[in-house]
Amino acid sequence: MGADPDEELVRRIGAGDPAAVQAMVARKLPRVLGLARRMLGDAAEAEDVAQETFVRIWRHASGWRWKGARFDTWVHRVALNLCYDRLRRRREWVTDELPEVADETPLPDALPGDEERRVSQALQRIAPRQREAIVLVYYQDLSNIEAASAMRVSVDALESLLARGRRALQAMLVGDDGDD
Amino acid sequence: MAEKTTKGLMDAARFAVLADAYGSALHRWPQAEQAAATLFAETNQGRAILRRAGRLDAVLDRHRVEAPSPALYGAIVARATADVRQGRRRRFWWLGFGLAGVGLAGAVAGLALVTVVNPDIQSDHYVMDANATSFGDAGPDADQTEEDL
Repeated sequence: MGADPDEELVRRIGAGDPAAVQAMVARKLPRVLGLARRMLGDAAEAEDVAQETFVRIWRHASGWRWKGARFDTWVHRVALNLCYDRLRRRREWVTDELPEVADETPLPDALPGDEERRVSQALQRIAPRQREAIVLVYYQDLSNIEAASAMRVSVDALESLLARGRRALQAMLVGDDGDD
Repeated sequence: MAEKTTKGLMDAARFAVLADAYGSALHRWPQAEQAAATLFAETNQGRAILRRAGRLDAVLDRHRVEAPSPALYGAIVARATADVRQGRRRRFWWLGFGLAGVGLAGAVAGLALVTVVNPDIQSDHYVMDANATSFGDAGPDADQTEEDL
């Protein structure tokens, strides 16, 4: 893992440089929004999470120091925590725990143009930790080490979550014809 | 969080495990295993495993997130400008408090030093009590002879 590509920008934000603030928003907002959108499955909530994530970035930028984990990984961790706060709030009147078992019932075939909603529904039906692993590695393109660091699990545990999540998605979205 | 390394060739079982976890695009696979995986991907077995994983990838790729709206971008930048400015102001005040604290500590240390070096200096100040006025003791317990007249 080389030098952090965001380090200089973070330092300038800490010094109160407005141009650095705009550059950071342009660089990170699409990633944070994509993460929150896929974790929560709700556009409005994802925008709220994105705004709250940046509030935390501004608050901590001046004190942030590179200690092995990249700034981008830290931003993902912050956004994920905010997503989990919202997921817990949604379920707290039902149960205190987030489900670990996915509902793998196949989703109905999509009408043309409706595939995106079908994938979104499938992502919401798998266990949140599996979804988190898939979103980080597949959609956010974090390396396995960065994703494991953001999730605070081992690489082996990450691979297990990824495989279980993909199997569940395969059953819902592709069916058994995924096997040759 | 150590990464496994594959020196030399990769077997079909490990290749299938990685495809199950990371999908069909080798750039998402663990960096330490990409070279060996690339070699195995050229085999018939490797191609079949990647084709199977690629079916799910093709569906997952249909989920796209729209670009952030200009309104969201503007709201975040506006909030950031205020937060960053407030942060600088807060640092300025803390610097001021810090300097004041250093000055106060110096004064206390100086007073303590004078007390230690010359402890016999007596205070000659007059302690005002609750009944005292600039005209002397005119409180309720004062001499009431004038009022009694």
